[in-house]
Amino acid sequence: MRSRKPAVLVAAAVCGCLALAGCGGGPSAAAGKFSDGKVVIGLLNDQSGVYKDVSGPNSKVAIQMAIDDYKAKYGAKAVAKTIEIVTADHQNKPDIANTKAQEMYDRQNADIILDVPTSSAALAVATVAKAKRKLFIDITAGTTALTGKSCNKYTYAWAYDTAMLAKGTGEAVVKNGGKSWSIVYPDYAFGQNMNKSFTEAVTGAGGTVQQSISTPFPNDNFATFITKAASTNPQVIGIMAAGGDLINFVKQYNQAGMQSKAQLAVGLMFITDIHSLGVDQFAGTSFTDPWYWNLDAQNKAWSDRFLAKTGTRPTFAHAGNYSAAMNYLEAVQAAGTDDADAVRKQLDGKKINDVFLRNGEVRSDHRVVHDVYLVKVKSKSQVTQPWDYEKIVATIPAADAFEPVSVDCKM
Amino acid sequence: MSAFVQYTVQGLAAGGFYALAALGLAVIFGVLGVVNFSHGACYMLGAVAAAVLLDVLHVHFWVALAIVPVLLFLVGVLMERLLIRWLLRLDPLYNFLLTFGLSLILVDVVKRRYGVSGLPYERPAGMTGQVHLGGIGLPTYSVFVCLFSLLICGVVWVLLTKTRVGMIVRACTEDADRSRALGINVGRWVTPVFGFGIALAGLAGVMAAPFRAITADMGGNFVIILFAVVVIGGLGSILGAVAAGFLVGLVEAYGQAYAPTFAQVAIFVLMAGVVLFRPAGLFGRDETA
Amino acid sequence: MTQQIKGSSGIIEPDLARRVNLDTAEHDVINPDLTRSPGKGRRRSPLRWIMLAVGLVATLALPWLVYPPVAMDIAAWALFAISVDLLLGYTGLLSFGHAAFWGSSSYVTGLIAINWGVPFPLAILGGMLFAMAIAVPIGYLSVRRTGIYFAMVTLAFAQMVYFVANQLSGLTGGENGLQAIPRSFFGIESVETDSFTFYYAAIGLILLGTWAAWRIVHSPFGRVLVAIRDNPARARALGYDVDRYKIIVFVLSAGLAGLAGGVFAISHGFTSLQELEWTTSGKVVLITVLGGIGTLWGGPLGAAIVVTLEDWLTSSGFEGTGIILGSIFVLIVLLFRHGIWGTTQDLFQRRRKAD
Repeated sequence: MRSRKPAVLVAAAVCGCLALAGCGGGPSAAAGKFSDGKVVIGLLNDQSGVYKDVSGPNSKVAIQMAIDDYKAKYGAKAVAKTIEIVTADHQNKPDIANTKAQEMYDRQNADIILDVPTSSAALAVATVAKAKRKLFIDITAGTTALTGKSCNKYTYAWAYDTAMLAKGTGEAVVKNGGKSWSIVYPDYAFGQNMNKSFTEAVTGAGGTVQQSISTPFPNDNFATFITKAASTNPQVIGIMAAGGDLINFVKQYNQAGMQSKAQLAVGLMFITDIHSLGVDQFAGTSFTDPWYWNLDAQNKAWSDRFLAKTGTRPTFAHAGNYSAAMNYLEAVQAAGTDDADAVRKQLDGKKINDVFLRNGEVRSDHRVVHDVYLVKVKSKSQVTQPWDYEKIVATIPAADAFEPVSVDCKM
Repeated sequence: MSAFVQYTVQGLAAGGFYALAALGLAVIFGVLGVVNFSHGACYMLGAVAAAVLLDVLHVHFWVALAIVPVLLFLVGVLMERLLIRWLLRLDPLYNFLLTFGLSLILVDVVKRRYGVSGLPYERPAGMTGQVHLGGIGLPTYSVFVCLFSLLICGVVWVLLTKTRVGMIVRACTEDADRSRALGINVGRWVTPVFGFGIALAGLAGVMAAPFRAITADMGGNFVIILFAVVVIGGLGSILGAVAAGFLVGLVEAYGQAYAPTFAQVAIFVLMAGVVLFRPAGLFGRDETA
Repeated sequence: MTQQIKGSSGIIEPDLARRVNLDTAEHDVINPDLTRSPGKGRRRSPLRWIMLAVGLVATLALPWLVYPPVAMDIAAWALFAISVDLLLGYTGLLSFGHAAFWGSSSYVTGLIAINWGVPFPLAILGGMLFAMAIAVPIGYLSVRRTGIYFAMVTLAFAQMVYFVANQLSGLTGGENGLQAIPRSFFGIESVETDSFTFYYAAIGLILLGTWAAWRIVHSPFGRVLVAIRDNPARARALGYDVDRYKIIVFVLSAGLAGLAGGVFAISHGFTSLQELEWTTSGKVVLITVLGGIGTLWGGPLGAAIVVTLEDWLTSSGFEGTGIILGSIFVLIVLLFRHGIWGTTQDLFQRRRKAD
């Protein structure tokens, strides 16, 4: 080893000189600026549980698309020559996420971890990122704690959070005429926060919340609460349940013949929920979506590429993973290294317009703000092709969509 | 008043699911001495089977209500013949563990085959909206579930008390040793009874299909509540299982209506009370289990 | 084989004899293999000391062999499994609700560490005491039933603890979990930040717990437990207060589960509702039975296999962890009821007899 050292130095010096001479002192791709000589992107998400369809294995395809696009864009000038993806399935268990994140950073030399659905798992990974001084961009978890109490210099929230969903749907539905509300929420931290944010948004926009009804969690029998919610004849019933509980609620809501009596507004839902329950069950329901595949020609073109590779249309999480990976690689390109602190400086404050982010900006608390959309689920007769489920009712501009920077966030 | 009636009907509807499934659990325990941990998974299989039949073969809800229990009966027969049978002579805890392992497998197989975000199920015709009884609007489907599960429990009760087969099964359930002494070949009834119990869980699953989210995990919490139901009712007692099923449904509904924070804990508090004051269950005979 | 005592239990306990096809005298109560029960003085061979030494070396070498946080997980699950075995293997009680103690201790440990910043062994001690405290009422109610009822009642109570923890989201952080649990250890920085050195700081607690279990099993108290397992009626006839013994061992077992849960929480730096879920109770029973009940060695062996297997499966791209674990478990229950450790031991003994 020792005998080779001078040779390496000479080679580096020669390279440096050539680079200086060649391009007049631009960021050089000198060896040694990359840990282990390559960029490793860790995808840590749920590949077998409830978020499998929302994000899951197809997010790897999205990240690979970003890598291909990066290589195509920069060609020989790309500073990151070798880019690898490592994946792991955290099964929505925070302790597995915690161990796997450590392992990815330490053993697999991951420079960044992406995705991580489930709030508790995302927060566990954020703690690891902070301790290891490595980057983490969360896409599919919705907790505001990531950019609030638990924020740190290495963690970014790329796509959405619960406060944004409440603000978007609450305000926009009131503006569109849904003044009187009953809110049904599951009685745990997520539901309580959603109820609070929704109530603020609705009253702030001039509507009234007649009653807020808490339900057990998890729960599969909502009939009692539907009866209760309908008793004051509200124009809108807001439901804050998510996943399986949401589907339970909507089924029982429709069984009780409520569809014609009050409009349904959903706190958190994914396009995969509509797909699995069937579009007619959700018809007319309002919710806020961070991204929709058929919004415009740009999204459609990207979605067609994704469809060709996976056989399915992308969710916002897939596009979010693509966008996060692409912007990370661009930041690496600009920094000329995969060193986390250098890359972080490139990302901070960056204004981004891409297939996922419109009018996007990386805020000081590492919340990425961007335009989001109030959508209404189409009725069965309006659907013209597979996954064609959403009608955009309003675009909520980036500045209004998210809560202001939290005072709890101290980096 | 009208709200109270609505809550009661909804409680009885929720109780209907518990009663049917608990009835299956009780019959199996009575004749085989097995507590079937995979009962929740079988309930899930019933719902998934209904959804798949509708999606692939366009089998209507009402037809599924008849076909799926037969399918689940066959599943039960297979389970008993291939697995349960070999452990019947041993401590019943072994079969409890075996069926626990089995439910892990069943849930994961369904997850791999049908994904996790749930299967769609169209509402059966005529079952939406409300019926009005004496000026009180009640969800049609809840009323149907309530009446139908009562009907099935009634039919099973008649089968058990009025037919020869039923009397044999009941004799085995009440006292397998004495039945054997009286010359009944208990072993002959083991397989069909196990299949029958599984079929009841499957029937509850089909009824849940239009009403609840059809996912691989839907049986997980269900089976724990079922255990509470049979502990409250008394494991060996058929009447106890049905009565406790409806009772737990009512406790759940009233709890949700009047004290939502404690609705889930209420069931277990009820169970703790029963264990404290009537360890054998409300309808069980007092003997050490 | 020594079956005569087991046979008699069928006569005295009418309910146990209600099995179908009971045409032979064979009646295998959960692992009453008396050749392996303590106090027989039969196996005081040097082999035992060799095994003990090998076990100790393996424990100390573990973080060299596997990734240190995973090594810590193995150790914590091993003690957790031993606590379940204390009830299942030595007292004949299957607790399907031990997550209540493991999980509640992890929360209390975390809360103490966050709010008071005490060295982590003290926080874990607090968690352990809390687990034992809630085990008293749960144990009091649960031991009123035996066998399958006991399993169902403990499962239901654990579910109740889960719901309560979920409700108290102000304290427990609800579904976000309790994050950023510090790992303070008298200002020694390498323990506080490096998982490799932390392993050696925390393994002492696990070994202490294991030693306590060993002491319990090999004490006169432990022998009474085995007597209760094999024939409760006879133990009662001999004047032992069976229920009291069961409650005491239940609380002790909860304490060990709490100790393990506390170490787990400190090791990960957070805890969540998952530690209270019934699936966690199921996993520890699976580990215990897989390793082999009634041996104390089975727990660590099962934990090593299951934790490593799960860790490997999460990065393997195969989505059916439950299929693999479930199938292994079904096979073990069907064919190797003494678990991996017990089955190996049986083979050894059979060969020795043949010689």
